[in-house]
This record gives sequence, structure tokens and C-alpha cells, in this order.
Amino acid sequence: MLHLHQILSITWKDLKILFKDVGGMVTLFLMPMMFIIVMSIIQQGMFDPGDSGQPRRLPVVNLDSGNLAAEVIAQLDNVDGIEVETDWEGEPMTREQAEALVTDGKRAVVVVFPADFSERVEERLDDAGARATIELITDPAVSTQFIAPIQGMVLGIAERVAETALAPARIEAGLAELLAYLPADAQILLDKMVVETEKTNVVHVERVVPPGMGVEVFPDSYQQNVPGYTVFGVFFIVATMAESILREKREGTFRRLLAAPLPKPILLAGKLLPYYLVNLLQVAVMFSVARLLFGMALVQPVALLVVSLALAAAATGMGVLVATFGKTQTQISGLSVLLTLTMSAVGGCMVPTFVMPDFMQALARFTPHGWALQGFQDVLVRGYGLAGVWPDAAALLGFAAVFFLIGVWRFRFD
Amino acid sequence: MSDNIIIEAQGLVKRYGDPSAGSGRGVEAVRGLSFAIRRGEIFGFLGPNGAGKTTTISMLSCLLEPTEGTAIVAGYDVVKAPGEVKRRIGLVPQELALYPTLSARDNLNFYGRIYGLRGRTLRRRVDEVLGMVGLAERAGSAVEDFSGGMKRRLNIAAGLLHRPEVLFLDEPTVGVDPQSRNGIFEHVERLNADGMTILYTTHYMEEAERLCHRVAIIDQGRIIALDTPRKLIADLGGGIIHLGVANGMAEGLLEQIRALPEVRAVTQFDGKVKVEATRAQEALVGLLALFNRTDTDITSLEVLEPNLETVFLQLTGKRLRD
Repeated sequence: MLHLHQILSITWKDLKILFKDVGGMVTLFLMPMMFIIVMSIIQQGMFDPGDSGQPRRLPVVNLDSGNLAAEVIAQLDNVDGIEVETDWEGEPMTREQAEALVTDGKRAVVVVFPADFSERVEERLDDAGARATIELITDPAVSTQFIAPIQGMVLGIAERVAETALAPARIEAGLAELLAYLPADAQILLDKMVVETEKTNVVHVERVVPPGMGVEVFPDSYQQNVPGYTVFGVFFIVATMAESILREKREGTFRRLLAAPLPKPILLAGKLLPYYLVNLLQVAVMFSVARLLFGMALVQPVALLVVSLALAAAATGMGVLVATFGKTQTQISGLSVLLTLTMSAVGGCMVPTFVMPDFMQALARFTPHGWALQGFQDVLVRGYGLAGVWPDAAALLGFAAVFFLIGVWRFRFD
Repeated sequence: MSDNIIIEAQGLVKRYGDPSAGSGRGVEAVRGLSFAIRRGEIFGFLGPNGAGKTTTISMLSCLLEPTEGTAIVAGYDVVKAPGEVKRRIGLVPQELALYPTLSARDNLNFYGRIYGLRGRTLRRRVDEVLGMVGLAERAGSAVEDFSGGMKRRLNIAAGLLHRPEVLFLDEPTVGVDPQSRNGIFEHVERLNADGMTILYTTHYMEEAERLCHRVAIIDQGRIIALDTPRKLIADLGGGIIHLGVANGMAEGLLEQIRALPEVRAVTQFDGKVKVEATRAQEALVGLLALFNRTDTDITSLEVLEPNLETVFLQLTGKRLRD
């Protein structure tokens, strides 16, 4: 009972010291929070595939004298996450206005249907080589990665509309030849069949996933940056914790505490617990900010908690390890920054792993950051429950165990 | 061990490093110390930096395990029952072992809790020690805003919360102004008057002379003298005179000095003559007359009055602050 009381006393003392340290608070809470907010917003266009609840505005200029472009635009507008803009300041958008939007950097891409769009599609009935063109006016600085999905989506819808428009005429032409050989009542039945066929698709594709697993999707800007910079911020505890241990050694407080009836393991436990709790608080604050500011969905709270507990163990373990290697404050700061920044970058906290080369993606598996980020994204992006995140949590606890064992083995109280 | 003895050390040795490497025995910081401290005594360890004072205190307070020898503190062996020893001792380390951003009260509350104090008892003890060291009015201030003397006083207060039987004060006045130093002396004397045994280490001979009932003079890990300050000084006699001589000593001059009535011993080193006298001032008159008669030029003259500094010098040939 005395030992528990001692652990809690050391914890309470360290929390008081920590929360009085404005610089430390900025590093542990404000810095990752600012990264989350700023990076999520500025990278929104880079990540957002359009299904994150934030509609992507797609300006469209319709110069088509026929009806087909209007049909394509209507179908584009029905796509989830796309908000088609055909008007600008209350008037139908002109090509010049559209070009100005791209030039001024207000929009990255604009779709233009030329005046002969419908006409060129219909020419296909008589001329197999005829092609209608849709123009995509784009900012040359925007990556192909961003443009390709939009291009594919516009092309797919336009092809469908064109084929749907041409199909009756083609069938009619083909049947006209057959009808000459059929009796009158057979003609009525055949017309009905054609109409039914046009109304429904024969094939329908529906995406399903194994039980307990969510849909495999890439993260959006928030789902990348919120867990990414949370993990990044959590590991900043390494420097704070290692410096606190060094200060206790240097200023003789460890010496005084060890002259009291306080066993060394109890002292060490008391030094770890406050930083572990601060790590959990960091995760809670960052995710709450994301929920409040960006409306980020926090699904599977138990799975999130398990990943957070394992992450905090790995971070505090690394703190003990660094404390045993750094003999001065400068050494500890240097080592901590080197480790946390390198591992954050390699682990995908700053740049998502899916854009990294294969060997870097493999390297991410050797960092606790990579596993923590994957654990959070397994929950936030893929909707996995406890069963889905246990490998991530187990890997993090493995890192924690290795860090603790080496750290405790090397630890000196003087 | 008699009931009157609260600390007894027998052949204490602390050796650092691998004995099989280098010199073959490692570095010996403490080399076979034996002493006994009586209950209610202020016992001083006087010696220069690096003499082994802090290492000895570390062994007595169970922070370091002796390489050889035994030590019994408050009836318990420091190796076999460190927990019992730790409950009965208070350590005031040489460093300001405080948390600067916390208030004086927060620091004391924390150290009190480590000793298992809680609630009303803790509050009462904290108020008590704050009053004792004259910091009651600054209890809520952050320690980093305190003067050096206030920090030293608080450093002592933190070692008193659990009312230890023995208090180890390791160089408690380092970096403190004379006024604060006097204040600390008064606190130490008051604690002792209340019955607390104090082991006080210092390299300031005035402190040992003023405070300690008995002093162990320690150098290079060994006790070279142990007695009351008065007895140690009395054994030395009347002081030491250092004389610098310009052109070397005339033949037979050393014998003539030795023959002077107030001179106890004469040694010559580095062109200087060291004269141990029973009464320094009277010996000086005779010396000057002799040098005048023999036409010997004196280039420097230093008269060291009898005190623990001169005792140390006499015993080791070094000054305490060398």
C-alpha cells in the first residue's frame, strides 16, 4: 500500500512539474495539434477522394447544343462527394471564366463540353471513327494522381450516356431488317422487350467485405494527419521524460529519494506512470479536436483505446531507453529529435506510406510509429474492431517490451 | 555496540572499477574507515573535496554498498537491513535536491508522502519544518524564486519531515552567503539540542570547529585524526610559521632554529622553512632575531594560527582547499 502511495506521489509530482512547464506543454499538445489542423486543411485536396463527406466542387462548362452533355452533368452531380458547378455568379459558366478559375488557383480542374458534343456522339451511328471530345482544363502543377480519378469518372459517365443514347437507334436499325420477316403481333412483343431492357441493367456489381472488416480504402486528409501527427506528438514524450530523469540524477533528487525507504522499481514505476498518462491524454485531446473541428468519426472506441494504450507503452519505453543513452541534456535532445523525427517520417506520420517506394513501406514496419499509425487507420479508415487491431497493438507492445528491457538493464539512478 | 553508539563503522572500504583492470585494485575512494558516533552528537567529517566524505555518507545511508567492512546505523546493518536504516535516517545531499518549479510546500508534501506521511500528520509536519527553517511565509512560492540561503534551508527541512534519529548533512553550506550560513548553524544546533544525532561533512574548518563535538579529519579515504576540535588543536600546539629564504640556508641555521625555546619542529621544503611552534608569536620574535644575526634574507613570511586548518596542514602537508 505504501508503495502504491509512493508511485502515485511521484506521478502527481511529475504531472505538476510537467503542467507548469509551458514549453513542454507546447511541444506535447499545441505543436501536434497545430500540425493536425494545418496539415489536414492544406492537404485536403491531395488526399480527399471525395467520399469523406466533404464534397469536391467540379466546375463544368456546358456549350453543347444537344442534350447529351446535360445528361452527363446530371449524372456527375449524382456522384457522392461531387458538387457540380455549372454557374458562376448566377450565370452559366463560360469557358473564359473556367480558365480564369484554374489560372487563379481557385479550382484545379474544369470540365468543358464543346458545342458539338451531342452531334459528334450521334455521328457515331453512321461513322464508326467519329469521336466526341470532353476537355479537362487543369493546372499543370496538379499531380496526375489527383486528376486521374476525375478523368476516369467523367469518361465513364460520358461513355455510358453516349452508349445509352445510341443503343435504341442501333437496335432499331438492326431490328428493322428482322421485322420485315416477322408477323405483326411478334413485333409488339419485341418492342416491349426492348423497352424493358433499356430500363434495367442486367449486371449489377456490389462490393462486399469479410465479416468484421471494413471496406479497404485510402485515408482522407484527416484520417492521415490526425493519427499521423498524434503519433508524432506522442513520441515527443521521449525527450521530456528522458530530460526529467536526467534532471533528477543531476540535481540529487534521485539520491535523496533513494535514501528514503523507496525501492528502485517503485521509483522507476513512479517516473513512468505520469508520462504514460500524458500520452493517453495527448491522444484523447488530438482525437477530440479532430472530432470537434473536422467532425472526424471516432468509431470502435475500444479498439482505439487498445491501440492508444499500446502506443503509450512504446513511447514511454523509448523514453527510458533514451534516458540511459543521453548523459547530457544536449545529447538527450539530439537523440530524441533524431529518433522521433526519423521514425515519424519512415513510419508514415508525415507522408502516407502508400505513396512511398516498396522498401520504405517495408521499413515502416520496423518503427512503432508505423504500427501505431496503421492501428489507428485500421479503426478510423477501415472500421476494424478489436479483432482487426490486435496485430498492431501486439507489435507496439513488442516494441515497448524491447525498449523497457534494454532501458531497465542499462538504467542507472546516479 | 553500546546503546550510546548510534553509528559504528568497521573497516569500511569502497572501491570503484574493475579490480582486474588497470591498477589491479580499481579506485579506492574509502580505505578502511572505522569510527563510532555517539547518540546526540554532532560528528564532523572534515576533509578536502574528493577525500571520501560523500562516499562514506552514501554507504551509511544505504545508497552505496561497501566493498568491504560493516556499518551499523541506528541498530541496523546497512547491507542487511537497508529499509530499517532508511526509515531512521534523513539525508540532506550536497546538491539542492528540490524541484525548482514547485512551491516549498509542494516539495515538502512530496518528500513527506514518500515517507508515508499523509493527511493531517503531513500538514502538521510540513508546517513544523517550514517554521523551523523560517520559510513559513514563503511556503507557497516557487523554489526557483528563492535565494541560495533559502534553498539550502528548505533542502535541510526536506530531510527532517519524518523526524529521523540521525541526520546526514553533506556540505550543507556550499554556495551560501555568511548570513545564511550562520542561520544554518543555528538550525543545526537547535536540531541537536532536541536530541538529533548529526553527521556533518564539510571542507570548511570554521564550521567543524564551531558545530562539531568531535571531528574526523579525512584525507584520501582515510581518517588521519579523530577527536574533539579543541584536543586536535591542542595537540598541534601553537601554530605554524612559513618562512621563504632568498639565498638558501646557511650551514647550521636549521639546527639553530630547532634550538629556539618555542620551536617544536622544523622542516625545509622548496626553499621554504616550516616551523611548528608552541607559541607562534613568541617563536617569530626569536626567528627574526636569528635571521638578522645570520644575515639571511627573508622573502616571505606566513604565520598560521592554531586551528583545524593548521591541524590538517600539519597532518597532510596540504591545505583543505587545495
